[in-house]
Amino acid sequence: MAEFVRVARTAEIPDPGRQVFEIDQRLVAVFHVSGQVYALDDVCTHDGGPLAEGELEDHEISCPRHGARFDIRDGRALCLPATRPTKVHEAKIVGDEIFVRLLDE
Amino acid sequence: MATVTRAGFVQDAFDAFLARRDEPDWLRELRRQSWERFLVTPLPTTSLEEWRRTDIRALKLDRFGLPGEALATAELPPALLTELPAALLTAGVELAGQTVALDSQTQDVHDGQLEPELRRQGVLFGSLDRLLVEHEAVLRPHFLSVVDPTHDKFAALHGAAWSGGSVLYVPRGVKIERPLHMFSALRAGAADFGHTLVVLEEGAEATVLGETAGGGDSGLHCGAIELVVGPGASLRYVNLQNWSNGVWHFAHQRAVVQRHAQLQWTIGALGSRLAKVNQHVALTGAGSRAQVNGVMFTEGRQHLSYHTLQHHQCEQGTSDLLYKGALQDQSRVVWRGMIKVDPAAQKTNAYQRNDNLMLSESSRADSIPGLEIEADDVICTHGATAGRVDDEQVFYTRCRGLTRNEAVRTIVAGFFQQVFDRITIASVREALGEAIGRRIREFN
Repeated sequence: MAEFVRVARTAEIPDPGRQVFEIDQRLVAVFHVSGQVYALDDVCTHDGGPLAEGELEDHEISCPRHGARFDIRDGRALCLPATRPTKVHEAKIVGDEIFVRLLDE
Repeated sequence: MATVTRAGFVQDAFDAFLARRDEPDWLRELRRQSWERFLVTPLPTTSLEEWRRTDIRALKLDRFGLPGEALATAELPPALLTELPAALLTAGVELAGQTVALDSQTQDVHDGQLEPELRRQGVLFGSLDRLLVEHEAVLRPHFLSVVDPTHDKFAALHGAAWSGGSVLYVPRGVKIERPLHMFSALRAGAADFGHTLVVLEEGAEATVLGETAGGGDSGLHCGAIELVVGPGASLRYVNLQNWSNGVWHFAHQRAVVQRHAQLQWTIGALGSRLAKVNQHVALTGAGSRAQVNGVMFTEGRQHLSYHTLQHHQCEQGTSDLLYKGALQDQSRVVWRGMIKVDPAAQKTNAYQRNDNLMLSESSRADSIPGLEIEADDVICTHGATAGRVDDEQVFYTRCRGLTRNEAVRTIVAGFFQQVFDRITIASVREALGEAIGRRIREFN
């Protein structure tokens, strides 16, 4: 199992906000919403679009390409054209820093 | 070996690169033009249609450097040559000649080694870096004219930095019976800018085996292949991409097939972390024929993106493209194929097909065939399939006494057989089959 990796200071990602990091050669989108942090693969399962570039509303992110929405808490696809979830990873705040651990399939 | 810090792709490094090479003015000028274009061209993003399914945000281009930066050829310890990754295509093959490049530098001991009889007939084979200068009159007209060095940032970088390339030139009417082999190897962290140029004059015949290997956990290939098949000539070209899974592979490859000429182009795409390849065939003469065969086998998080073009410019051309991919784990294959028929290309017969076998639930294949037809008397068709291993086939095979694992391997081998049947060189079929066999995951 992968270890937690420090990716940023909490203040570096506004609330609400998001930022993409490369962790172990994976592109991971980290979301900061209502004081909590979440991490997803930065890939829309519909057509490979970069999720983090889309519109963030509450706990939903929309793919900028075709509008598929995902729940950032568990990666669920919320509407067509996406039908499969995107991969969720573990994220936590320790002190004033954000850590992410990749959960491999 | 000590770790060398790459200077990246900056002006000082490029000036030093030019200074290391003893080249005529026209060649330096070509490089400078490409370099200027490289500097002003942004890296492609997924907002460009051609790149929308190929995300290269994780590529750190400046971790790599220009050829010859780490070590000059003369400094390579002889023992290192024996550490090269093994070539696969040459096992059991009697060659007419061979070139070997390491980290984008041709190894002198392997420069050409051409049969004396072929040399007497005027065949040129060996280091492109050397022969392009020695035989400028015959080679310069073709060099960087088949492939467009302005297409994107990678093509421009290649135009500026190409090195360690190989060339084959076959004069009119000369038929080479035994294959020629061009091998490029990479050490971890290195970059390969190999350029392949093959020119067959009228009525010539040849078989060329191109192959790559190595690269460790991080490498870069920024390459080009130019094939010129003259009137009535016949070229069989096999290109096996067998880098490690850490290599970023960007390649522009194009063939020109002239009047009544024929090309058989077979690719094996097994390695690389990410590959973005444009493979184009232009049928520029009446009655020209091209057959393109591809085998792709992926694992882990590999991402292979192949864009093919069959461009019919003249009447009565025939082209037939068959790409087959088998995907494991979370890997992804993208194939975008286009058949383009110009107004003058009446009586064209063109076919393109991509079949994919999904060996895991989380792999993904995108097949996107296209037709762009401006003549009105043509036959153009395409097909694409993607599917899992058929449980009925597994059941039938297991009734014959095979374990599930053996059953799936047998089915995968059968899946690729249609491409293998088109490869007329027995040793190449065996080498490809073996290379794929090594990568097949155990099934439960």
